Amino acid sequence: MRDTLDKAPEPLGAEDGKLATASKRRKAGRGVIVALQVATFVMLVAIWQALSVQQILDPFFFSRPSDIALRLWEWLTTGFIWEHLATTLIEAFLAFAIGTVIGVGFGLAFARVDLLAAVFDPYIRILNALPRVILAPIFLLWFGLGIASKVALGVTLVFFVVFFNTYQGVREVDLVILNNARMLQATDHQLLRHVYLPSAMAWIFSSLHTSIGFALVGAVVGEYLGSARGIGYVVAQSEGVFDTTGVFAGLLLTSAVVLCVDLGIERLERYLLRWRPRA
Amino acid sequence: MRAIPAVAFEGVTIRFRAPSGEVHTVARDISFDIAEGTFLAIVGPSGCGKSTLLNAAAGLLFPPAGRVLVFGEALAGINKHATYLFQQDALLPWRSVLDNVMLGPLFRSMPRAAAMEEARRWIERVGLKGFEDRFPHQLSGGMRKRVAVAQSWIVNPRILLMDEPFGALDVQTRQIMENELLGLWQETRKTVLFVTHDLEEAIALADKVAVLSAGPARLKGVYEVDLPRPRDVAEIRLNPEFNRLYTRIWADLREEVKRSYDARHP
Repeated sequence: MRDTLDKAPEPLGAEDGKLATASKRRKAGRGVIVALQVATFVMLVAIWQALSVQQILDPFFFSRPSDIALRLWEWLTTGFIWEHLATTLIEAFLAFAIGTVIGVGFGLAFARVDLLAAVFDPYIRILNALPRVILAPIFLLWFGLGIASKVALGVTLVFFVVFFNTYQGVREVDLVILNNARMLQATDHQLLRHVYLPSAMAWIFSSLHTSIGFALVGAVVGEYLGSARGIGYVVAQSEGVFDTTGVFAGLLLTSAVVLCVDLGIERLERYLLRWRPRA
Repeated sequence: MRAIPAVAFEGVTIRFRAPSGEVHTVARDISFDIAEGTFLAIVGPSGCGKSTLLNAAAGLLFPPAGRVLVFGEALAGINKHATYLFQQDALLPWRSVLDNVMLGPLFRSMPRAAAMEEARRWIERVGLKGFEDRFPHQLSGGMRKRVAVAQSWIVNPRILLMDEPFGALDVQTRQIMENELLGLWQETRKTVLFVTHDLEEAIALADKVAVLSAGPARLKGVYEVDLPRPRDVAEIRLNPEFNRLYTRIWADLREEVKRSYDARHP
C-alpha cells in the first residue's frame, strides 16, 4: 500500500472517459458479477420453491419462498413488524456505538502503554475466549428483560473485534511517518490525532463490517432468550407455534438489515479512506 | 572566542542489540563539529551507520556513550532546532498537501488561518501551486519530495537533517531537486547535515564532506569543498577542482567501500 514512490501520478481529475483501460475493464466485470449474483439468488429460490411445491421438502419444516415473501409483505403492510424492527435496530445501534467507542479507547490505550498491554493480556484472552452467549442469562438477571440486557450482550461481542483491530492498527504505524511528525514537534495528543488514529482507521473500518453483524447477533440472540419485543422475539414466538415461515421471514429480515447497514458503512469508509490509492 | 557549533558530536558511540541478542556497534567514538551555516555532507559505504548518526543528531535515538550538543546544549529529546528530510515517504498519507505542509506551524500552536496562509506560500515556493488539495498518493515521487521540503522548511529550522532525501528519485528529477535545494539554501544559509552514499552528490552540494569508515563507523576525515557558489549540480561536475576533490576523497572512501563490501560478501 505504501510502496508507491515510483508510481506515475494518477490521471488527476480526469473525466471518466480519460481513465485507464484497466479500471474500465474492472467496471464491466462488476456488472457481470452483479448479474450472476442475482441469477444465483433467483435459481436457489426457484429450486427451493419447486422442491417444496412437489412436497420433496416438507413445507412444515422448510416453508416456501412464496409463503415467506407473503408473510414479509403482510408484516410490512399491516405495520406489525415495525415496532419489533425498531427495537432490534436501536439495540444493535447502541451495542455497536458503545462497543466501538470502548473498543477504540481501550485499543489506543493498550497500544500506547506497554505495561497495560502486558498486565492485562491474559485477562483479555480469557474474556475473549468466553462464549459470549452464555452471558445472556446473567445479563437478563442484571439488566432485566428490556433493551439494556441486549445492548450489553452486543457490546461484549463488538468490543473485542474493535479493540483488537485498533490495537493492531496503532501498533503498525509507519515509523518514518511517526518520526517525521515527532521532528515537527507534535505533542503526544497531536500524534494520537494526526498519526495514530488515522493510521488505525483502515483497521478499525475493516472491523466495523464484522462488528455490525455482531451487534445484531447480540440484539437478536438476547431477544430470542427473553424479551417482549424485537425480531428475536418474533422468531422465538414463531418457533413456539411451529411456524417455520415466520422463523424464515425473521431471518431474512435480519439479513437484509445487516446488508443495508453494511453498504452504508462501506460508503462512509470509502469517503474517510479516500486518501488511500485505489488497489 | 570560538563560535558555538550548530551541532557537535562528542565521542558518540552507538550500539544496537540485534533480535538474536548480539550487540552491534554501528558507530564508534565519533567527534566532530559543524559550524552554523555549513552545508555538511556525510558519506560512507552503505550500512556504515550514517543514518544512525543523523538520528542521534535528530534526538530520535540516544547514544549509550558520548553526547550530541546542539548550539552548546546536550540533546535530551527531540532536537527542537532541526527538521528532518527522510529518504522514504514521510508525509501523512491521509492529509492533503496543504494539511501536510501546515503541520509544523500547527504543532507550534500557530493559529490555523495563519498556518494555512504560510503553507500556501511555501507550496507555491516549491512549485506546487494548484496541488494543495491532492493527497500524497496522487503525486509523483518528485512532487512528494517537494511537499516534504516545504513541510520541513516552513518552520524555519536552524538545522536541516537530510537522509539521502533524493535517493529514490530518478536521475533527472534528482538533479532538479538538488538545484532547488541549493537555491533555497543559498537564501537562508541554514546548517545542513546531508547523508548520502553518492560522493558526487556530496561534493556538488556541500561545503564540507565528512567520510565515515566501514562499520562500525569512525570518522576518517573531513574535506573542505571550496567550489564557487551559487552552484549548478550539473555544471559543477565539469569544474577541474571538482575532479581533483573527487579523486582525493574517493581514494579515502574507496578502501572503506571495499572493506564494507568484502565484509558482507565473504
